[in-house]
Amino acid sequence: MHALTVICTYVRLGMLNVLQYRGDFIFQIVGILIGLVTSLLTIGIVFNQTDSLNGWTTDDLIALVGIQILMRGVISMVIRPSMQQLMEGVRLGTFDFTLTKPADAQLLASVSQFNAAAVADIVIGLGVLVVSLARLGATVGFADAILFVVLLFAGTVMVYSFLLMLSTCSFWFVKLSNILVIFGTMFENAGRWPITIYPGWFRVTLTFLIPVAVAITVPAQSLTGRLDWQTTMLALGLTALFAVGSRWFWKFGLTHYTGASA
Amino acid sequence: MSSSPDVSIAVHDLRKVYQVPERDSGLRAAVTSLFNRKSRAVEAVQSISFDIQPGEIVGFLGPNGAGKTTTLKMLSGLLHPTTGTADVLGYTPWDRDRAYLGQMALIMGNRNQLTWDIPVADSFELNKAIFRIRASDYRTRVDELVELLDIGDLIRKPVRNLSLGERMKCEIAGSLLHQPRVLFLDEPTIGLDVAMQRRIRSFISEYNRRTGASILLTSHYMADVEALCQRVIVIHHGSLLYDGDLAELVRRFSPNKTIIVELEEGAPAPDDRIAAIIDRAEVIEQSAVGLTIRVPKAQTAAATSRLLAHLPVSDLTVEDPPIEEVIEDVFNIDVDAAPSKDERATMMATGATCPVDHGQFARDEAS
Repeated sequence: MHALTVICTYVRLGMLNVLQYRGDFIFQIVGILIGLVTSLLTIGIVFNQTDSLNGWTTDDLIALVGIQILMRGVISMVIRPSMQQLMEGVRLGTFDFTLTKPADAQLLASVSQFNAAAVADIVIGLGVLVVSLARLGATVGFADAILFVVLLFAGTVMVYSFLLMLSTCSFWFVKLSNILVIFGTMFENAGRWPITIYPGWFRVTLTFLIPVAVAITVPAQSLTGRLDWQTTMLALGLTALFAVGSRWFWKFGLTHYTGASA
Repeated sequence: MSSSPDVSIAVHDLRKVYQVPERDSGLRAAVTSLFNRKSRAVEAVQSISFDIQPGEIVGFLGPNGAGKTTTLKMLSGLLHPTTGTADVLGYTPWDRDRAYLGQMALIMGNRNQLTWDIPVADSFELNKAIFRIRASDYRTRVDELVELLDIGDLIRKPVRNLSLGERMKCEIAGSLLHQPRVLFLDEPTIGLDVAMQRRIRSFISEYNRRTGASILLTSHYMADVEALCQRVIVIHHGSLLYDGDLAELVRRFSPNKTIIVELEEGAPAPDDRIAAIIDRAEVIEQSAVGLTIRVPKAQTAAATSRLLAHLPVSDLTVEDPPIEEVIEDVFNIDVDAAPSKDERATMMATGATCPVDHGQFARDEAS
């Protein structure tokens, strides 16, 4: 309950922040639109040459792009900016203040920033998804829809846990902001295609090391009727493992936090 | 777990050793250190002990790097000590019990926690949510703090639009909304102008009077310490050098007196004659109309009479050196010559003078 109050307050403050910087907000939306057009053009170019990519059709891939944009919105709304802020706080020493608050430090660190422009990502992602589903003529049943939402949630938890672990490393290494850039690049470029098209070693990387697979490909598979129960269980199991592991790693990292000096 | 009701902070043999990464300057050393990091143990705080009563304001003094901030960070639960214990309001700080954190505040003058881009009042809302402050209490306290700190016009402005002093006042208000019973202030007036320093000082004193909070304060401005603290704790190189009355500190640590002499009009400047008149005088300042001399305390009377006898004096005053100077003397103590832990313990128990080499002391005894 208290956690919810804290999260709501942060979100409300985040919205106020947007009103302070309207110009930046508009540019972020322009950036999102450019990203969308590039993604669709790339798909168009590929499918000028072929009808099917490892069994995925144009509309399947458009659905995947929709999910990628949607996930990007979810991640960049709170998780990514908060993690960035956490690393910055560790470097500058302002993270001290997070630790002196009577609330769970992981919670405070994870929701401290809110990027309202990400809502545009979510809206556009949903839009692309709906259009592609209509073109597929697919009928998504109630159970499928539930599974899709569950997998999307699992993907979010997985990416969150992953980023939390990366950020926790800053307790030892202090300056690590580039690590988030690497994640962003992988997410943008590798996540644009279903991981099934990649060679085995890269698929393993994208599943276990940089969890783009669970976050994007698996939900897309569930919507386009490609998902078997083994993959579902693997995705959910990995998510639970990442969530527990990252919590443990965070607690361990905290005991190593020395803060910046005065 | 619980402390006696008449002690709000009890620190016993607190010690903190840091592992500090170390490398030589230059590219080669930088590359080597990427693969082979060397570190060195630095003892930032060496077994310090003290008690603070409820409602007490204690000045925590020491030069940069003495271990003040490290101690404050341990007491506010940010750092685990290497060894030793502390009990604050019945809690062990580094357990970071939420009940404890809800009654404590750490304010650092050189770091801000208010959100940069939004109005101050919105940042306050965040603390209200985190500290679970009841709406009615929140309104009363905001009103009270706004009035005491005179920040009525400021709290609607984004933090980035505030001056340093304005921001500090808002920082303090935001940190006190949950009405902490223990307050750790790390240089709350750093970088502020004199008027603003005075304002913050009187506010701290008022907050202490109204709430009975215990306050441990570090500051490099002696005016802060003189105005707020009867008692001071001095640490240097991580060791406790002195714990007691501020006035006593001056008496005990200052081996000198300052004599200010005004000469009769038209009298020739005494120049090098001073050395002939008094043995160990140190001329601090000299002008056409007079001079300021520092002499060992024991020689004050003799020096005064010799000055009166040998110079055309129109006025003469004897003063204790300013507290800044005394503190500087204390800080200049050579670590190796500093008393051992046992000696310090005896010294504090008996009220004896710190057996420290002050230069002047040594020469004094030689004479």
